[in-house]
Amino acid sequence: MHRKAKKRARVAKPTTRRFSAPPQLEPGAPTDLQLMHGIQAEDPDALSLLYDRYNGILKALILRVIHNEAEADDLLQEIFMEIWNQAKNFSAQKGKPLGWMVTLARRRAIDGLRKKQAYARAEVRLQVEIEQQPDAWVHNATEEEIVLGDTRALLRKVINAIPPAQQQAIDLAFFKGMSQREIAAKTNTPLGTVKTRLELGLKKIYDALKELKDEL
Amino acid sequence: MNFEQFQNQSPLYVIGALEPEELEEFEKARKKFGKKAEDYITECYGLHEAFALSLRPAKASAAIKQRLMAMVRARK
Repeated sequence: MHRKAKKRARVAKPTTRRFSAPPQLEPGAPTDLQLMHGIQAEDPDALSLLYDRYNGILKALILRVIHNEAEADDLLQEIFMEIWNQAKNFSAQKGKPLGWMVTLARRRAIDGLRKKQAYARAEVRLQVEIEQQPDAWVHNATEEEIVLGDTRALLRKVINAIPPAQQQAIDLAFFKGMSQREIAAKTNTPLGTVKTRLELGLKKIYDALKELKDEL
Repeated sequence: MNFEQFQNQSPLYVIGALEPEELEEFEKARKKFGKKAEDYITECYGLHEAFALSLRPAKASAAIKQRLMAMVRARK
């Protein structure tokens, strides 16, 4: 990392405590915030390190949205390029680097889903998923918890604790970018019920994460 | 909208699930409650991280990083 970036990174103050934790860092490894400052100072090595740290998480998120390996790889590259280009807009006052990257990646993935006209194909796949495993987050949890890291296992536990119908509504809203009306149409559920499911489910997750924040 | 209602709507806002008419009301309340509203919204964005971190990481093609870094270095 450039000397200037390192100097700036050392004086950076930590942000407000949030819910979730990034992967455990090796002792002496730069923090996410230090890497963001490095990227803001146009240090490619900082981007390289950030990529190594988060490409797996961001690709999983993209794949969850678009269900296509090759498109996910292309989008991942575009997203990291956007992180490089838009880093100047990142502010630690507004949250952590990972949150900023996830928000950006999700938006791009949902945009990509629609723009590339893959929506219809994904909808067919999604319909199959809904029919076969309406509670996908629950479905994978048991076997995965054996191998997942602590953070992921805890987050899964929190998500799995809410009713499947609420999980499904959140899944469609967050990972597919669907509006309440779209979810209502997709699941043949009254609009008011969809709203209630989203509100209750998100509140339960939010409250549970707050309680768990010291463990995450 | 009171602050409790604002708090109930905030998670829906951060995941983009508010309908247009709800969004208008929400933005009015956001202005009305000022900093405490902004702080609450910022906290709700933690849901994005939580949902992403709840997924099993996927492996990206090695060529992606090579292409990315080549593009970045070429633009510098």
